[in-house]
Amino acid sequence: MKRRFVIATAGLLLFSLTGTTPGDTPPEGAICPTPAPASFEARLLALERENGCLDLDQGAEPATWPPGWDNATIAGGDVPPARVVADPYPTLHSVVIDADRNKVFMSDPNRHALWSYERLAASKGGEAIEPLTGIRGPSTGMMFVAAVTIDRERQEIYSVDNDIGDRMMVFPYDANGNVKPKRVLDVPHQAWGLSISPERDEVAVSVEGPRQIVIYRRDAQGHDQPLRTIRGVKTGLGDPHGLFFDGQNNEIIVANHGNQNGRQVAPGDAPARQRGARVAENLPIVGGRFDEPSLTVYPAEAKGDVPPIRKIQGQKTGLNWPMAIDVDRTRNEIAVANNGDSSIRIFRRTDRGDVAPIRIIKGPLTGIVGPMGVAYDLKNDELWVANYGDHTALVFSNTASGNVAPKRILRNAPAGSPTAGFGNPGAIAYDSKRDEILVPN
Amino acid sequence: MIAGQTTKVSRTMHGIFYDPLHDEIVVPVALAGAVLTLPGGANGGDPPTRVLQGPRTGIVQPDTLYVDLEHDEMIVESGDDAVLVFSRTATGDVAPIRRIGGPRSQINNIYGLATDSKRNLIIVANRVEMGGRNSNDGILIFNRTDNGDVAPRAKIAGPHTGIIKIRQVVVDEVRGQIFATIKNNFEAYNYADQRPSPWDPDKTGFIGVWSINDNGDVPPRGVIKGPASGLVWPAGVAINPASHEVYAIDSVSNALFMFRTPEFFFKPPTSTAGAR
Repeated sequence: MKRRFVIATAGLLLFSLTGTTPGDTPPEGAICPTPAPASFEARLLALERENGCLDLDQGAEPATWPPGWDNATIAGGDVPPARVVADPYPTLHSVVIDADRNKVFMSDPNRHALWSYERLAASKGGEAIEPLTGIRGPSTGMMFVAAVTIDRERQEIYSVDNDIGDRMMVFPYDANGNVKPKRVLDVPHQAWGLSISPERDEVAVSVEGPRQIVIYRRDAQGHDQPLRTIRGVKTGLGDPHGLFFDGQNNEIIVANHGNQNGRQVAPGDAPARQRGARVAENLPIVGGRFDEPSLTVYPAEAKGDVPPIRKIQGQKTGLNWPMAIDVDRTRNEIAVANNGDSSIRIFRRTDRGDVAPIRIIKGPLTGIVGPMGVAYDLKNDELWVANYGDHTALVFSNTASGNVAPKRILRNAPAGSPTAGFGNPGAIAYDSKRDEILVPN
Repeated sequence: MIAGQTTKVSRTMHGIFYDPLHDEIVVPVALAGAVLTLPGGANGGDPPTRVLQGPRTGIVQPDTLYVDLEHDEMIVESGDDAVLVFSRTATGDVAPIRRIGGPRSQINNIYGLATDSKRNLIIVANRVEMGGRNSNDGILIFNRTDNGDVAPRAKIAGPHTGIIKIRQVVVDEVRGQIFATIKNNFEAYNYADQRPSPWDPDKTGFIGVWSINDNGDVPPRGVIKGPASGLVWPAGVAINPASHEVYAIDSVSNALFMFRTPEFFFKPPTSTAGAR
């Protein structure tokens, strides 16, 4: 069975005009595959039907055509695709570990799910590992899921929807299947990062376009408003992604891509922006900017338009689309999933300015491809990496450096399964010169 | 793949244009209020060759764009309910040549742009959300040289069009046809409200084809819609007239579909095979 995918993480994806071709034999990897019975892969593929994927031989859609269509002459109709490019496997986005209970949790924006695995589960060869649980389905309310984190004390899983959903959802550890969340909280559109401070009993959420950090009570739900918002021109926030709420050192560390849109950022005391509520529309147009990527640090109590107390930024840092971050407070180190150059960069927690990382994990032996998630397991001295550009999570020693092989590899697809890399794509173009399709991701 | 900090691309790129004449890729970067032009063969961390960005441009948070190769103009969605027209090669912080926006224009929330250079037209995929499945979404058609707060010369909208949650549009100038992606869903951001989900998409979306001369509440001339199509919430569309193909990207299935539809590339579309 043929499969023509392209490994990708983010950005502009280029596909040559191949793909899978529906026909007498449903192709592996197609959007509507026919699963073989029993295997984990088959069950995953079967789930795709629930994902809006309708069988080719299913009957016609119920008569829900708009008025006037039945009597109109309309070409086309229910045309099956000649070819399809899609990825039937989860893409790993964010990762977090409960070492006491030997569990690992990961988010999956491709198949709209949260998966948990046994901490020591590892692929001995090219085989995929079966998850312990998968939270997925219409009852979950999950849409384009981004970060995942956990409350170890209460054994709860937290995740945020980055797009379409705009919600933070809380599930019990043992949730499995198509289950309703224990709690749901409205969060601003374009939420990405999520971090709980057990010491403060608060949860912080990063929001990309509005360039803000919103802090809620840990148990906030429904329409509860944030306790405070960090936002404004002085903050230096620019397209924030990963964050770490450090209640021990009383600070919040944020990874910024540096993008600043053309309108002046809203003042910090304005309401958190919900989708459709254009609180910023009367602010002046100041022109967009590409600032350098950075790690910015704020006091835990920071509110409104406050400058960072420290900032790591500059050429020596090598920051390149910094995604998730995690902090080892025993060693006082920050690990950064540096998506843009497929590396993990480790900085001292108290670094400031244009500083080089103290360690970099990068190179072909590492298997790191477009990392989106990174997390420490301090009990076992390990560092986990969620590869968005590959169907793997990698486990390193937390002092690993250079081009080193991981201690363990957890595959969620058979080795060599390409990753399409789509994540809520919104446009395409046809390159007639190269006979390729361009997909901005 | 084009990716990484040096490329200046980011998420929320809801438009893209390939310019076959100059072999360039043009893409908006909403989160940085910019328009990037990259070489057609760009790969890896290749930087853009031109960046349009700054306060004079009026570009706030551009979702989408198009290039009129005949008139060497770039059409950009401003991010604040306006169509901005620049020279195709505009770079840096330069003011637009023309701007269409205001209450008479009916431009509200642009999700797609296209031009018909042969007929001197600008096509706007316009969203006017009214809650739930109620909407006044539609296709607005302006004269290419319109400037200011001018009414559209034509508007394709209404219940017979089926247009709800319109996204990217593209024009086949040879045949005078507009291809539009219609998600046909609605968004409910109140956590407690019933809403469509990836598993329960309410009504599935479609690709609709209208004549460039259509006006009013009219059904499409062509459609790709239904369970066999696999489309759930299509967000992007492109065409390859030479091979009679329509390409669609689906935002919830995370899938790229390629359809062979020769009937769409006859003039005018006459086939009723498989139609509803």
